[in-house]
Amino acid sequence: MSRILSRSQIQRCGRQIGGIAGLLLALPLIVAAVLPHGASRAEETKAPAVPKQELQAKLAYCQVCHGAMGQGFRGYYPIPRLAGQQPEYFENQLQAFIEHRRTNNIMFNVAHVLSPQMLAALAVSFQGFDPKPLGGAPKNLLAAGKKIYDEGIPSAGVPGCTSCHGPQAKGDAQFPRLAGQLNDYIFNKLTNWSSERGQNPSNPDASAIMEPIAHNLTKPQIEAVAAYVSSLE
Amino acid sequence: MLLPSAAVAFALSATGHAAGMDKPVLHTGSFDAKIEYCQDCHGPSGQGYRGFYPIPRLAGQQTEYFENQLHAFVERRRPNNIMANVAHVLSPAMITHLASRFHSMNPAPLGGGPRQLIAAGRKVFEDGVPDANVAACAACHGPDALGRGQIPRLAGQLYPYLLKELTNWSLERGQNPAHPDTSFIMAPVAHSLTRSEIEAVAAYLSNLK
Repeated sequence: MSRILSRSQIQRCGRQIGGIAGLLLALPLIVAAVLPHGASRAEETKAPAVPKQELQAKLAYCQVCHGAMGQGFRGYYPIPRLAGQQPEYFENQLQAFIEHRRTNNIMFNVAHVLSPQMLAALAVSFQGFDPKPLGGAPKNLLAAGKKIYDEGIPSAGVPGCTSCHGPQAKGDAQFPRLAGQLNDYIFNKLTNWSSERGQNPSNPDASAIMEPIAHNLTKPQIEAVAAYVSSLE
Repeated sequence: MLLPSAAVAFALSATGHAAGMDKPVLHTGSFDAKIEYCQDCHGPSGQGYRGFYPIPRLAGQQTEYFENQLHAFVERRRPNNIMANVAHVLSPAMITHLASRFHSMNPAPLGGGPRQLIAAGRKVFEDGVPDANVAACAACHGPDALGRGQIPRLAGQLYPYLLKELTNWSLERGQNPAHPDTSFIMAPVAHSLTRSEIEAVAAYLSNLK
């Protein structure tokens, strides 16, 4: 499968190597990304690579809980969709689990054994999946949810989600994709935001941006917007 | 005139009145008869039984999982000659009633598994084995191993039955490649667990109430 590197991937590559050297090393990648057949060349020069078998085994392990195509799964808990997720957000969350800024025992155990290279490889792999949404949300909430998504709740100081998550809820860089996410997962996260995210007060993270929003949404509003984004492809 | 007592019992049972008879009365063809038939093998409270084979606990089982397994037996996606015979005569209504009745039973675990493995088993259950790509069982089966929906309860399940299922998973489940079922989810887990991890997690679960 050929892949064009995104700017953030190239930037990350550059940051890892550092400085001018990084730019020079990244140059062939930038060039490769632009040339018509550059995609396959970019795959060969991607660095540093995780052994294919190791990545496949780790992916299969993630898929046990997150679904064969990363579409999510309703286990005992709703286990979120990873398919099509923004790699920067994906990596940030795994890092947050490791540092206990985001509290989850199961995901801590998963994440803390991952090398940085594996983390990055998994992020790229899951970004490439594109299954249909798992579904299951009540359809009668979709219209109300779309209104909240597009317009926010001005009276409550809640901006439209679209302003950061994008009009199709695909997300961007550190802002997660929400399209096709499990509605019950979103409900849990928005309801429990302050008790699950940013749990290290001496090391505040980007999750703080969502805190007032999650706090100001009422339960029916959360249900509605969760239903809406869960239906988006 | 003295009638053979069995005939008396049968005659009385036809009217549904067996009070005063100390012999148990079977209402042939009815739900009560079917439940007693299940309990012959699976135990009077559905707690399971160590027959020639370990016969699993059904008490407290998730109804959706229970029904799915009976369908799997009928369709030979889960090959088991005895259970195929049991299952293929059951009407859909009977299946639903049996599932519901067994779900409501709540006996103590049968027990008998190696207690010294419980601590190690709990770790496998709650944390998985991240280095070996074994997912934490609790993520799907729940922190108390009670299961949910199509995901089975494991709490109180028989130790030798759990050993057998995890060891033989790919030989016993999802056996019709033309009709893949949800058993495929467990295949990589069962495959990745070592023998001692299987014994440990089975010991832990078999002692859970």
